[in-house]
Amino acid sequence: MDRTLVAVIFAVVLAMAALLLLIGFAEAPANAAGVSHAEIAAMQAGGDGAARLEAVGGYAFAFHSLLLLFTILLCVLSVNRAKRTSVFLGWMALTFAVNMLIWRQIYWQHQVFLESGETGWLLGFPTATAWQIYGIWFAGVLLIAVYSAGFRRYVLSEEDERRFEELLQEFRESRE
Amino acid sequence: MEAFRQEIILGAIVLYMALCVTIGLWSMGRTRNAGDFFIAGRSLGPIVVSLAVFASTLSGFGFVGGPGLVYSVGVSSFWMVVISATAFGLGFFLVAKRIRMIAELRGCMSIPDVIAARYGSELARLLVAITIVLGVLGYLATQILAMSVVMQAILADTEMFADISLLGCVVLSSTVLVFYCVTGGVIASVYTDVLQGLVMMVAGFLILITAMQAFDGGLREASEIVLADDSESMMPFGAAGIVTSVGWFFVFGIGLAGQPHIVTKMMMNKKLADNRAVLPLSLLGYIVSALLWISIGLVMRAAVVGGGAEPLAQPDDAASTFLAMFANPLLAGIVFAALFAAIMSTSDAFLNIGAAAIIHDIPRALRNRPVNNELFWARVVTVILAVVAAGFALFSYYRDATLVALLGAFGWSTFAASLFPVLAIGLNWKRATTAGAVAAVTSALLINFVVQLAGITLPWGISGGLAAFVTSLVLFFAVSFATPQPKLAWDIDRMMDI
Repeated sequence: MDRTLVAVIFAVVLAMAALLLLIGFAEAPANAAGVSHAEIAAMQAGGDGAARLEAVGGYAFAFHSLLLLFTILLCVLSVNRAKRTSVFLGWMALTFAVNMLIWRQIYWQHQVFLESGETGWLLGFPTATAWQIYGIWFAGVLLIAVYSAGFRRYVLSEEDERRFEELLQEFRESRE
Repeated sequence: MEAFRQEIILGAIVLYMALCVTIGLWSMGRTRNAGDFFIAGRSLGPIVVSLAVFASTLSGFGFVGGPGLVYSVGVSSFWMVVISATAFGLGFFLVAKRIRMIAELRGCMSIPDVIAARYGSELARLLVAITIVLGVLGYLATQILAMSVVMQAILADTEMFADISLLGCVVLSSTVLVFYCVTGGVIASVYTDVLQGLVMMVAGFLILITAMQAFDGGLREASEIVLADDSESMMPFGAAGIVTSVGWFFVFGIGLAGQPHIVTKMMMNKKLADNRAVLPLSLLGYIVSALLWISIGLVMRAAVVGGGAEPLAQPDDAASTFLAMFANPLLAGIVFAALFAAIMSTSDAFLNIGAAAIIHDIPRALRNRPVNNELFWARVVTVILAVVAAGFALFSYYRDATLVALLGAFGWSTFAASLFPVLAIGLNWKRATTAGAVAAVTSALLINFVVQLAGITLPWGISGGLAAFVTSLVLFFAVSFATPQPKLAWDIDRMMDI
């Protein structure tokens, strides 16, 4: 299973590299990475958001989606094959789905603002930014919950600790 | 109280530094050998490790460069902060268990030690050790520079030290750092991290409260002012745009598991099972402290574009100007102490891993044996490293006033691109080969240094660090697949099955 999993991870990495190249070769508007603020030195402005998303918005969305998938796949790789139960994989799939939902909301709410010029507000921030600030933190906390709450099931069981103690003992004896 | 503002700030800093010195003296008696000096004899409890992990993660970059970046490019830099939960989660999944196991199994004292054990290669050890020394010099210089610039700004407002030079501040601020690092090694480092972490958490929380009161309408009013001035700056991708933002998410998020000063802490806990508590505690500390990054930057940008404050001479002035405008003297004292705490907690970690690379790893890689009396030489090299880094800091300052933040990011991205594939993936994938590891480290170093030193600007705000990171990942997998499957040492093979 690791062979297939690593092949998928490698494919994801290659796809990210290809997307980065596509972005790099896309024609960049003047404000691609910001422009100097019209009145205040040492400050950058973003300018026309729609113009700079037009050429690479789709690529960047796909790049980040792959990055989220890459993160989850690496977490799966780190867990012993025998412990990758359907429940564990279900939690990982849920974590990925939540991450994707939040990422989609960030991107989509930004698009809504660019088209309408209006935004809702949530806990001190425009809706799209609120999804970024609160949503990404929440999605990460899911990953941490799986790690901490599922520690004995997925990361290190008491049986694992016993096996490690045996390994330590054998290794020491082999050195004597 | 306002009349004694400078005295209160200075008093808080002096008190904080005196506590650091005391911890250094206390730790001296507990540092009996190189194992104690470099990894605290794997004897630390979960709370100490948690505070050490997060305090090492949040450096002066977070307290000076971070708010400066929000001031400069708006919400773009939030991506470096909000990624923290995912970053810590991924780092613990990939690294925490196996690095602790391999450290105990093989008696590893450093990341290059771990790499040598995993790959059975002295070449891999040497390359990683060199990477660490180079990265440490750049990163440490940045931290010392930040510490000295802040100290000069504080002392310049006093009568007695009004004319103090930057060199004088470098000497003053580095002396305390070097003292406790030399006397107590990593034991002093982690116990000062506990103090530093607590100070940073208190400061982060209090600053958030203060920032929410800076405008009558709270943070929403600040956001509305920034949005009205330039809407993109307040939208999720900020002034720097979507490519820069997701690039920062990549380098700062995924890359955390490749930061040697952070993952080294994962080798120090007493029990493997402590990791289940260390992870959430580390994250909690980081989030509370990092609130300062977001809130100061946003309020200062709003204050300046809204006409409530004069434009800053440079973005890195955001934190000190915020404190002068909005914080009472006591809070300012706590925050300045927290700033020094953030800088010193990262710097002591770098001094420690840098010294380990020089006196432990490079001699072993070249001569296949360590130097005699490692503890003595560790102390000597710690002093030398600090002096060289301080010299580098002064040189950088007078030759090129690049943002402290960007220098910090360069150090982070160098480690992320070089070490993440080799360490974080290598500890979880038996098929990874020495050739793959060498290709990853070499390509990451080359791209990072060429882009930085040649001043190459990539389109769309793609950073050299991101390009290096993606390239090193591609090469790591491709070269590993293209070279014969390695035969792992039997103990490593079995350890990776657990």
